[in-house]
Amino acid sequence: MSAQETHSGAASGGRIAISSGRRSSPPRPMPRPGEALAFRRTVIGLLALAVLAPIGLILYQSFLDGPFFIAKSRPGFSAYLYVLTDPMFYEALTNTVIMAVGMVAIAVPLGAALAFLLTRTDVKFRGLLEVVVLVPMFISAIVLAFGYTVSIGPSGFVSMLARSVFGFVPWNLYTLGGIVLVTGLSHVPHVYLYVSAAMRNLPSDLEEAARSTGAPLWRVGLDVTAPMVLPALVFVAVLNLMIGFEMFGVPLVLGDPSGITVLTTYIYKLTTLFGVPTYQLMAVVVVLLVLLTLPLVWFQRRLLRNSRRYAALGGKGGRTTAMRLGTRGQVIALSAIGLWLFFSVALPIGGIVLRAFVDAWGQGVNPFAHLTLKHFANLLEVPRLYHGILNTVIIAVVGGAVAVGIYLLVGLAGHRSKDHASTLLDYIVLLPRAMPNLVTGLAFFWLFLFVPFLVPFRPTLVSLFTAYLIMGLAYGLRLLQGTLIQVSPELEEAARTTGATVTRAWRDVVIPIIRPGLVGAWALIMIVFLRDYATGVYLMSAGTEVIGSLIVSLLQSGAMDIIAALAFVSILLTGAGLGLALRLGAKLHD
Amino acid sequence: MQQNLKTLGLAALLALGTASPTLAGTAEQIAAATAEGAVSIYTATDIAQGQALIDAFKAKYPGITINYNDVGTNGAYNRVISEAAAGQVGGDIIWTSAMDLTVKLAADGYLATYASTEKPSLPAWADYKNMVYATSVEPIGILYNKNALKADQVPKTRADLIAFVANPAMAGKVASFDPEKSGVGFMIDVNDLQQTTTFWDLAKAFRAGGGKTYSASGAMKETVMSGENVLAFNIIGSYALAWAKDNDSLGVAFGTDYTAALSRVAAIIKGAPHPEAAKLFLDFMLSKEGQTALASVGLPSLRTDVDSGYNLTTIGAVVGGNLKPIALDDTLLEYMEPAKRVKFLKMWADSK
Repeated sequence: MSAQETHSGAASGGRIAISSGRRSSPPRPMPRPGEALAFRRTVIGLLALAVLAPIGLILYQSFLDGPFFIAKSRPGFSAYLYVLTDPMFYEALTNTVIMAVGMVAIAVPLGAALAFLLTRTDVKFRGLLEVVVLVPMFISAIVLAFGYTVSIGPSGFVSMLARSVFGFVPWNLYTLGGIVLVTGLSHVPHVYLYVSAAMRNLPSDLEEAARSTGAPLWRVGLDVTAPMVLPALVFVAVLNLMIGFEMFGVPLVLGDPSGITVLTTYIYKLTTLFGVPTYQLMAVVVVLLVLLTLPLVWFQRRLLRNSRRYAALGGKGGRTTAMRLGTRGQVIALSAIGLWLFFSVALPIGGIVLRAFVDAWGQGVNPFAHLTLKHFANLLEVPRLYHGILNTVIIAVVGGAVAVGIYLLVGLAGHRSKDHASTLLDYIVLLPRAMPNLVTGLAFFWLFLFVPFLVPFRPTLVSLFTAYLIMGLAYGLRLLQGTLIQVSPELEEAARTTGATVTRAWRDVVIPIIRPGLVGAWALIMIVFLRDYATGVYLMSAGTEVIGSLIVSLLQSGAMDIIAALAFVSILLTGAGLGLALRLGAKLHD
Repeated sequence: MQQNLKTLGLAALLALGTASPTLAGTAEQIAAATAEGAVSIYTATDIAQGQALIDAFKAKYPGITINYNDVGTNGAYNRVISEAAAGQVGGDIIWTSAMDLTVKLAADGYLATYASTEKPSLPAWADYKNMVYATSVEPIGILYNKNALKADQVPKTRADLIAFVANPAMAGKVASFDPEKSGVGFMIDVNDLQQTTTFWDLAKAFRAGGGKTYSASGAMKETVMSGENVLAFNIIGSYALAWAKDNDSLGVAFGTDYTAALSRVAAIIKGAPHPEAAKLFLDFMLSKEGQTALASVGLPSLRTDVDSGYNLTTIGAVVGGNLKPIALDDTLLEYMEPAKRVKFLKMWADSK
């Protein structure tokens, strides 16, 4: 995940570089172990297969004029021709760029400011805030969007309040601006995580010097702290841009009434536009999305290399003292954070909770006269719905644990290895991130249908889990790599010099040391699996329903009562997951 | 001549059907279906509505498990064609409101032919070549917010509706389906275009008045309920009637001069893994018992002998006597041609 990425890159890299001064010899890379090579290659090979198969399938589909499995489909560029000459595509592309850039423009400054307040100053309630500010990150985007429509949509309860005060509703949620605002504010935690990891280890001397010359706090932040973490800021901006390109849930719900399409919802629209699904057109859009993302991955890798160098300048050793905010500063800082939390947590969750317990709302309706529990009774009465809840828990808890095991194997395969395979690994891992989860699910649906030995697994949770595994790969592997890198090389070297094989060194030294990290990673992956909604849309079948995808499927017929109840359950489960994560000592920060 | 032969064949089938009405669920058929043990349904009908049918079927045939896959209209279509291509047919029955997609599946050879034993009790328009069967009659109507509109302000005829959406006071407060995003919405629009002469007048007035379009009826209901929109037209009336029953602020109205109706259609998938159970289930859906179960959860029956909920006769009376169900025939294929579809959507987009 985010924090690990920067932290392991920036801080650990720095730590090694600094400590090398104290030690007699700089750490050498581990000698290349023959026996582990087979393991490394097998794992990376298998992973490449699991990632490239769906992507290859989509790429192949994009060069056909019909579904790939229909005999009369012919190869050609007709799908590219259609998409590239479709005005709707360019409209969607423009909206996507505006949405992604706008999201970054809101999330990065706010996330950086939040990180500054929580790591560099003596802001109050820091322990509590460090957890609470992450909450928006864990709410499923579709739940979030749905919650906003109930709270600040044209007839939302807050909107009605505003109307009774001003006589009209002074905002419109269903605009591109509304989407940008919602996504921007909900991605603040993503930025905060990265930037706070980079800021936490900065020495305070420069900031103190600036303070002693009488510079106000915001000046110090802007002119001293920010430049020191500039690489992390640029890095996180690029990362969020990538996330922005494939956002689906929020534009799906908020863009619908006014007809705003972005690339991901354009893909969705292509399924109905021609009556029969036009997979070749969907495939083309996905290929274009991946092409759009690849330069960003490349750029990100370069940045990461540079940021290591950068952070080494700061290094450890310098002591960190929190800057004093003063009473006025505390008030301003805490109100700003409170306002943001109100908007990104209280409003959407409030909306969901309200909608889940009433059967009527809106203009001229007193929701408290319509309180009911019948939506939840529905969940219990209908087997499909409670199976959905059960499956979601199984996928998250059991699937999450298995996924962490697999990510660990992948992490070990690339661990302390600097050859081409690990470069390959970096790209392989990031490719699925460029593919919308909806399409990842569709590709796996086909793989489990057309690859003979996979067929028996299609109607089971195994097919769903495989797709989730790939969907969560980028995030999960970063978590594991971050943990692995914290084991200092001399421990492994010591084991090796006493004659242990690489595998044994990993099994007896590395894994026991990182066990707490693994447990934390498990809890976080659990939340990632809980909040996903798009991957299962095509994959789930009778008996393998999951909450998020049930919500998407119910959106089609529009059973809002049940959607709200499911969303409420989803929030409860996520809360439980988060609680468990903290209890198990998951290091949400670094 | 061929037509005559067809009619003759049909008559013979009908005669056969009526001659041995006990054919449905003969002991042998039930035994064969029970031996298969299960029936898989690919559907776009929410489980909340499908449950009554499932329960009724299970009560009658306890040995047969039902795998209910609610995958949406496109999901169901995608499964049928993908699984056929892979030679891995997993579904027995497709049951969806996308009448046009299902007729296309039939025309493309993905569905099995089966003359249901219940056919004599169904209207003539309710099947497509013994492959696709209508299972409900769901009138298309208007859902409105009672706090915003009095009953006498609600449009009663097409002409009223056109005048209503053109009224500047209603600008931006009327909702309907987005034919680009909703296959069912598209089908309703195209049916109006084929059945009436005023479709484009309505479309222009609606678009010019800043009408808002949605991809799902539930989303429209939410906006009408909250008062964001005062009225939504082309809403599936069976849903609307159920919503209005539960909620004081919602009202339903139908065009007295013309009300279309769509049907949820069912068919047996070719190569179905449980063919006998599939036949049994299809017959059950169309039988008095099955239709009673469906009508009890608000899907009006297309039979006339069902007493719970609405049946073909009573729902006809509710909408004011001019119910025109969308017939299951080749007309539905007309707008499955990509070129025609794109042309229609282009006209829709330009009709502002």
